[in-house]
Amino acid sequence: MKMEGLYMGKCKEKIIFHIDVNSAFLSWTAADALQHGETVDIRKIAAVIGGDPLSRHGIVLAKSMLAKKYNIKTGESLFSARQKCPKLKVVAPKYDLYVRCSNAMLNILKEYTPVIQRFSIDECFLDFSNMENIYKDTMKLAYDIKDRINRELGFTVNIGIAHNKLLAKMASDFEKPDKVHTLFENEIKKKMWTLPVGDLFMVGRATEPKLHKLNINTIGELANFDINILKTVFKSHGNLIWNYANGIENSKVKPGNLTDMKSMGNSTTMAFDISDRSTAYMVLLSLCETVGMRLRNSQNLCTLVSIEIKNSDFSCYSRQRKLMHATDCTNEIVKTTYSLFDEVWKGEKLRLLGVSVSELCSNENYQISIFDNKDMEKHRALDSAIDKIRMKYGSNSVQRGMFLQSGLKPMSGGVGEDEYAEMSSRL
Amino acid sequence: MKILAKYVDMISWGDQNGNLHPIRFRYSAEDERNVVIKVDKVMQITKENIAGNNMLVFRCQSIICGINKLFELKYEISNCKWILFKIE
Repeated sequence: MKMEGLYMGKCKEKIIFHIDVNSAFLSWTAADALQHGETVDIRKIAAVIGGDPLSRHGIVLAKSMLAKKYNIKTGESLFSARQKCPKLKVVAPKYDLYVRCSNAMLNILKEYTPVIQRFSIDECFLDFSNMENIYKDTMKLAYDIKDRINRELGFTVNIGIAHNKLLAKMASDFEKPDKVHTLFENEIKKKMWTLPVGDLFMVGRATEPKLHKLNINTIGELANFDINILKTVFKSHGNLIWNYANGIENSKVKPGNLTDMKSMGNSTTMAFDISDRSTAYMVLLSLCETVGMRLRNSQNLCTLVSIEIKNSDFSCYSRQRKLMHATDCTNEIVKTTYSLFDEVWKGEKLRLLGVSVSELCSNENYQISIFDNKDMEKHRALDSAIDKIRMKYGSNSVQRGMFLQSGLKPMSGGVGEDEYAEMSSRL
Repeated sequence: MKILAKYVDMISWGDQNGNLHPIRFRYSAEDERNVVIKVDKVMQITKENIAGNNMLVFRCQSIICGINKLFELKYEISNCKWILFKIE
């Protein structure tokens, strides 16, 4: 019997694009400046985007190609960057500009396919599987997208093309800027296996030295290594990186990039060393204000509170505590934070403090308990009212009295006016 | 044309189709005196979306001090400001 209309052939391979803006913060700042009449393109000189150079909050967030030649690295202090290049131009970051540029790029990409995953502020995955009738020539499509973004928005991107997200992401990281690269299965050996193992996605600061100790220095060596040894040393992560080294990855392009939020936190590095408990308490309170507001905004409650401390010798330690019941109340989080701090602080000078809440659950149902503070409802109503005022009139419209004339910000941690869509480090 | 990129005070009118027509504008020159220029003719209007910022670009022509000069005005849609971007 003839089976008509039934596709009996092999499943077609996916076609995935990874779009990555070249030096995003720098390019976006440059484009914006040129549109407003600036004659110097900061992409063409030794320039960096960095925090306020007048205060101590200054690290390099993005660098130009010329700045890279001076061995300036992303994350280093502006002070040391200036020592490497005295004529370095430093421009402050503008986060609302970056969000706007990212949205403008996304709006263009949406015209090509509805299946888009925004992986970060400057990276997107696009799925063009089964669209051969619309886009016959994949390479031409990639060049059209790349050139259109450059022409209309004024900045360049790299595009990686592959049959899965991992390989597409690796491909876009090859030679920059303004290039299209492919990384299909038959190209893995030539294009990917020769690279240093640290270039592989998900091989970071912790994994790389351990791999070097096993005498694995390239991605190819990792791909051909005994997976059982990797599993013993790295557990499930070993399985993951072996698969990645072999180009094996099959997660879907998730529109909306929806992953369950697991935790949220804020931390701040102070412009001075904290040496007394009351100042530390104030900083922790200001962090809890921000975390509390974000927690309530995300419609979640938390059951685990943790704090992070970095002292002036740059060594870090932390402590966490599980709460008796889930909460989104700032005061409760603050009380727990203070008690964790008292338990763990050794009395030394501190540089960084961080507060984080996790083990989140929806706030649709709030479990009351006989151990609750009898003013719980009042506190929740107060939190809600304060949030509304801050949303309407700004974060500084309502603040705790102790912050007046203290020199400290009443809410610290976090950047940007908009709560940006959740980003995950997993594909 | 030389890039000036100065914010200007503008008198314009908008028609029923949503199109803007610049009439005349005023800006402070280098010697701090106010210069008023009447827009004689709009040659071309294009839309620009550099860095996601929508702007209308007007290529204009006017007789300024007896000389026919070309200049470019930009209208920044996000904040409704007019910019004298370039002038001969």
